[in-house]
Amino acid sequence: MENAVKIRTENLCFSYNGRTILRNASIDFAEREISAIVGPSGSGKSTLLMTLNRLWETIPRCTLRGRVEMKVDGRYYDIYEKSYPVTRLRRQVGMVFQIPNPLPMSIYKNVAFPLQLKGGLAKETVSARVEECLRKARLWDEVHYRLHSTALDLSGGQQQRLCIARALILRPEVLLLDEPTSALDHATARAIEELLLELKQSCTILLVSHYLDQVTRIADTIIELHNGTLVRRGGRT
Amino acid sequence: MGAVRRLQEVGVPFFSWLCGVLLLGSVIAVIGYLFVHGWRSIGLSLIFGTTPPLDALLMKRHVFNGLFPAVAGTLSLIVLSVCWAIPIGMASGIYLAEYAGPGTKAFLNLFFDILAGLPSIVVGLFGFSATVFLNRLFPGSIHPCLLISSIALAFLVLPYIIRTTQMALEGLPLSARMTALSLGASKLQNIVHVLLPQSLSGIVSGVILAIGRCAEDTAVIMLTGVVASAGVPRSLFSHYEALPFYIFYISSQYTDREELATGYGAAIILLCICLVLFLLAFVVKRQVSYHALYRA
Repeated sequence: MENAVKIRTENLCFSYNGRTILRNASIDFAEREISAIVGPSGSGKSTLLMTLNRLWETIPRCTLRGRVEMKVDGRYYDIYEKSYPVTRLRRQVGMVFQIPNPLPMSIYKNVAFPLQLKGGLAKETVSARVEECLRKARLWDEVHYRLHSTALDLSGGQQQRLCIARALILRPEVLLLDEPTSALDHATARAIEELLLELKQSCTILLVSHYLDQVTRIADTIIELHNGTLVRRGGRT
Repeated sequence: MGAVRRLQEVGVPFFSWLCGVLLLGSVIAVIGYLFVHGWRSIGLSLIFGTTPPLDALLMKRHVFNGLFPAVAGTLSLIVLSVCWAIPIGMASGIYLAEYAGPGTKAFLNLFFDILAGLPSIVVGLFGFSATVFLNRLFPGSIHPCLLISSIALAFLVLPYIIRTTQMALEGLPLSARMTALSLGASKLQNIVHVLLPQSLSGIVSGVILAIGRCAEDTAVIMLTGVVASAGVPRSLFSHYEALPFYIFYISSQYTDREELATGYGAAIILLCICLVLFLLAFVVKRQVSYHALYRA
């Protein structure tokens, strides 16, 4: 039985500095599945992700037309409605970038940061959640003895796993991953893939990837973009 | 063509190195000159005269023949001016970098550039005119004083703090800007928790420039409250003495070499005050960075 649709885009058109990146993209992303977005460079894959958490709004000279709906508590909401707070959206839709972007803070503070922004949780709860997420991201064993040292001293692979842990701490309903394993060695990449397979039990995952072997290993649905348009959609086979 | 390029490859770094060395040499020459001429006068008697230092520091006795009142006046002036300028300058810089639209930003940038180019004597004249105006408005209660001087000096150094705050924030990469926003931070949370702590080095550079300018400026204070012998300032509304004015006064009125040497001594003390305040600015930056970025 097919899962219900979690996110639905309708006639999405996006342009940057007058150049069209997405053209009438109408795509459904199923709930609690891994949807891989593939396509050549410049086809609009990363842009599509940024339209789903409205992060493109931080970039000047961008325009967007169309509609994006997300299912929350059994109801579909237009995420571009003024009544839908963007901070709430971004807490529900976590994102991990291609290049690891730890903040210049301690390891602990990096992971706890989203919870501290949200506020209202006791220190003990925050500590427990930090440990839980670092364990999920397969990083706890490597950093538990130096949680209060700077995250910038971690290796590239460790930084990426830290970013994944940080994205998980708010328990997002949707996780956007923009080539999350491109900076990682083979073993760490496989560990992240296992983590994603575990996470999809509770979370909808959208993964941009250039690695077809990775996509065929873990994706439930493959969405192929070309020149900002959906050209193919199918299962992993 | 190859020879010209080789010459450029060697010539440009050599010229840059030469300029750096010349600049360093000039700074060493100026400071060396000051020390050669002023070191003999340096001592507790230059600062406290014949008054016991502890009595002077505890304000039990006045210092009539030392630089203590000028040191106290200069320190009060710098601290007050920077205290007015930092919050207003940083807030304006944040507005320009993070909130202003392109039209508003272009207009305000032009305005602050003009303000940065104002000669200090013009700012002093403005401070003096404001004092005259306030004196008419509140007869007898407002006259040239420490408060007016510090506000006029703050006005003079505001562009440095505004510009450095704006540049430091605008210089942050897009990825640094997006990280906290993608984690659900509001715009204000992003500025306070991420962007400002990461911009502190640039902002502190502006504060250091402002401290230096407040310490050295004579034109503004001559028109707004400094006098040759006022003693230690007792309130914001009192006259005061200041080291740059003392140096100016001695260098133009000295009667013998010994008196001139006290002018050089005052210049060395002024340099030391600036150095201490610069170090203090760095320590504050380190503490704020540590508190903002690493404390759990």
